[in-house]
Amino acid sequence: MIDSLLLHRVQFGFTASFHYLFPQLTMGLALLIFILKCIGLKGNLWADVAARFWLKIFGLTFLMGVVTGIPLEFQFGTNWAQLVKSTGSILGQTLAMEGIFAFFLESTFLYLLIFGEKKLGKRMHCLVSCLLFLGTWLSGYFIICTNAFLQHPVGYQIGEDGVYHLTSIWALLSNPWAIKQYLHTMTGSVITGSFTMASIAAFHLLKQQHQEVSRRYLTIAVLVGFPASIIAAMPTGDWEAKQVQQHQPVKFAAMEGHFHTEDGAGLIILGQPNLQEMKIDNPIIIPKALSFLTHDSWNARVKGLTEYDRDLWPDNIELLYFSYHIMAGLGTLFIALMGVSLLLVLKEKLHTSRLVLWLLMLSLPFPFIANTAGWFTAEIGRQPWLIYNLMKTADGASNNISQGNVMFTLLGFMGLYLLLSVLYFFLVTRIISRGPELLNQPESETEGAA
Amino acid sequence: METVWLILLVLMIATYIVLDGFDLGVGVLHLLIARDRSEQKQIMQSIAPVWDGNEVWLIAAGGTMMMAFPGFLSSMFSGFYLPLTMVVWLLIFRAISIELPHYLSDSLWIHFWNMMLFVASGLLIIILGAAMANIYRGVPLDAKGSFFEPLWTNFRIGQQTGILDWYTILSGVTSATFLLHHGALWLVAKTDGRVQQHARQAAAWLWFGTIGLTVIILIASWFVQPLARTSFSETPWKIILPLAAVLSLLVSGYLRWKNKNMPAFLCSGLFIYFVIFTGAAAIYPNILPGLNPEYHLTIYNTSPGPEKLTTTLYWWIPGILLVGVYFTILFRSLPAVISASSEEDH
Ligand code: HDD
Ligand code: HEM
Ligand code: HEM
Repeated sequence: MIDSLLLHRVQFGFTASFHYLFPQLTMGLALLIFILKCIGLKGNLWADVAARFWLKIFGLTFLMGVVTGIPLEFQFGTNWAQLVKSTGSILGQTLAMEGIFAFFLESTFLYLLIFGEKKLGKRMHCLVSCLLFLGTWLSGYFIICTNAFLQHPVGYQIGEDGVYHLTSIWALLSNPWAIKQYLHTMTGSVITGSFTMASIAAFHLLKQQHQEVSRRYLTIAVLVGFPASIIAAMPTGDWEAKQVQQHQPVKFAAMEGHFHTEDGAGLIILGQPNLQEMKIDNPIIIPKALSFLTHDSWNARVKGLTEYDRDLWPDNIELLYFSYHIMAGLGTLFIALMGVSLLLVLKEKLHTSRLVLWLLMLSLPFPFIANTAGWFTAEIGRQPWLIYNLMKTADGASNNISQGNVMFTLLGFMGLYLLLSVLYFFLVTRIISRGPELLNQPESETEGAA
Repeated sequence: METVWLILLVLMIATYIVLDGFDLGVGVLHLLIARDRSEQKQIMQSIAPVWDGNEVWLIAAGGTMMMAFPGFLSSMFSGFYLPLTMVVWLLIFRAISIELPHYLSDSLWIHFWNMMLFVASGLLIIILGAAMANIYRGVPLDAKGSFFEPLWTNFRIGQQTGILDWYTILSGVTSATFLLHHGALWLVAKTDGRVQQHARQAAAWLWFGTIGLTVIILIASWFVQPLARTSFSETPWKIILPLAAVLSLLVSGYLRWKNKNMPAFLCSGLFIYFVIFTGAAAIYPNILPGLNPEYHLTIYNTSPGPEKLTTTLYWWIPGILLVGVYFTILFRSLPAVISASSEEDH
């Protein structure tokens, strides 16, 4: 028997995860395209060619971001009506701001960026790419603020009728949780952007096509990707872990797979959580590391899951644990791979090191997986709360919709998104196989738009 | 304060309908007017740069509604669960069928997306009208302010309403006619040659249809919603709104006849604004009437309270002004007239 609450959650989780596959790439690429345009200003033709190539991929990805973002906005009202009813005047602030300040900016300047290269001239075109970059990153901030309110509510007051009132818009926008979460998420999307660029460049280099351009923008991708990979772990990932540990200790214990309170607790690197026996099977553990990472002291006490009431445990601890470990594990690999690439770039050998090019090419899916796993950690770990410590997820869902209707729309979304994925892959592969240089020639019938 | 926000919200929704209305209208008309690929491209070039910005008005209006009238949004969105989810699906199809044809110059591919665009836009403009009519007619609200409507029951407007009944279907047809007219006027203003000629003819026919349906829907609405009768008899000055609507429609027809194409289009936009304000004024201060008069949702019982809303204006007003600037930049960057042979400008 499936209850409608679960269906609401699965539908939201599925559509949100799918949506986030696209913005993480557009936000990363927006920065990289802006960098390429700046390099192009200095008279480097290759950078303009590369920017034009990446703009085409950007345009298609942006479109996917738009069409999958709108369902999310609607679902707050359709599937989480109780949540909106009590907190709409707060969540609506950041959502309305996102529309008014960010989405209008993006939709206006995207058109100018894609169609206006000749008309605007080099400087203006570079400026427009900067505005678009700001627009995408701004929309990221507003949506993170919305999510941060659910993770760590601030600036509100609850009236006697149970309705939440905003007491300070400033508090909402400068939520300390949001700032750290934003820095970490944006770093994640820069990782996605630079790995994607590096991967496609590696593909062309291995096929010995478009070598001039690919070699050069590969360097840019590595120069951006390496610091981003470091920053994702230290300091932003560390900040996130510390703030979760401080404000959401149950989530923290569950995602670390830390069942029993210990002094000098070890950090679990590998192993499967076993909830029946409350232990980790096949563990590989770094002794005392967890205590050190959370409390800066090797012998500090770290509370385990069993300290807390079972009702407050997230309902899918296994998935939570694996999501977190997948993210952190991949993060470590990213640092290693980008580190090696950077060394080779400094020696000007990267474009001939076939092994590393292969690795870069094949690494394409991993940043997407790491980002999705990160969101799974944040969102599943928040359970059973919808608003941490204030409102249970069960109290936020719409209660006037039958299971059949939610099942119907969930299946509909799945089918539709399958179609979208197929179309996206088909078209993106075409853009990639044509490569950057072709786009230098006079535009043809098939010139893409966004 | 609630009234101020109601006006702002209705303004935003109406702006959405006026703006996205013309590109949805064009989305239907393109298949009927274009004869070959170059005309097809000419038509699509007139909306390709702007549809996304136009659609953002929907998102911004949604956010504003959530912030100002959370009780209304939650009740309406969950009550209209199925049709709204389908609207989302149609919006997805609409968006990809505008954009994807550019990526492949295969005739089947292009034809497929053009058909999709026709179907999705057509359904959307009908649903928009039906949705407005549902809000106006009222829904089976319970004491907690929620309801759920099936897609249809017996097509009558009794106590067992569905989303579709004769009144909402009538309204759907009406809004389709209004927006096709509006879209045709956009094409008249923005294109030249054969496309413009045909759009002009279409606009002329649609104009008569629009007049006829305006009269019918006004009369029907008078009888369907008892609140309207009290509202207009208590505050008779509101009658200005429907009168202004009819007047702008007449002026729009006159201007088109005089070849003042852009002004004719703008007047048609004005007409749509007035129609929507007429509806909102007729049920004011209710925002979603219940079939049981005790359970009406009003602007007072769905909003978080006046003092909370005042501070929001401090960011909201500058924000909207900024949007005005973006739209000026965007619409001025469009070519004044789009010709069939004109090359895409990269
Ligand atoms: C490429 C992407 C990527 C990489 C390499 C990492 N993360 Fe991450 N992480 C994210 C992308 C991400 C994210 C998608 O951006 C999340 C989801 C929600 C959020 O705030 O950021 C996230 C969430 C997230 C959370 C949960 C926050 C919460 O529950 O609210 C923690 C504790 C960490 N991260 C910690 C780390 C650590 C210690 C990493 C060490 C290597 C790491 N992340 C690498
Ligand atoms: C930033 C804005 C976001 C907000 C406001 C938000 C809000 C929500 C809400 C209301 C739910 C349903 C209640 C629940 O089960 O907790 C949910 C669940 C979920 N969200 Fe998010 N979300 C956001 C971003 C994301 C993103 C970007 C992803 C994925 C990439 C995501 C993944 C999920 C998942 C997987 C669930 C299901 C959790 C479960 O079933 O236990 N969320 N989120
Ligand atoms: C559940 C939460 C979310 C909702 C309701 C949501 C809503 C939307 C909507 C409606 C759009 C389309 C805008 C348009 O028409 O131009 C969109 C696009 C976008 N979203 Fe989301 N979104 C969510 C999660 C996220 C997250 C977590 C991020 C980033 C941190 C994000 C970043 C973006 C960006 C940058 C775009 C621009 C389009 C693109 O770049 O692909 N969104 N989103």
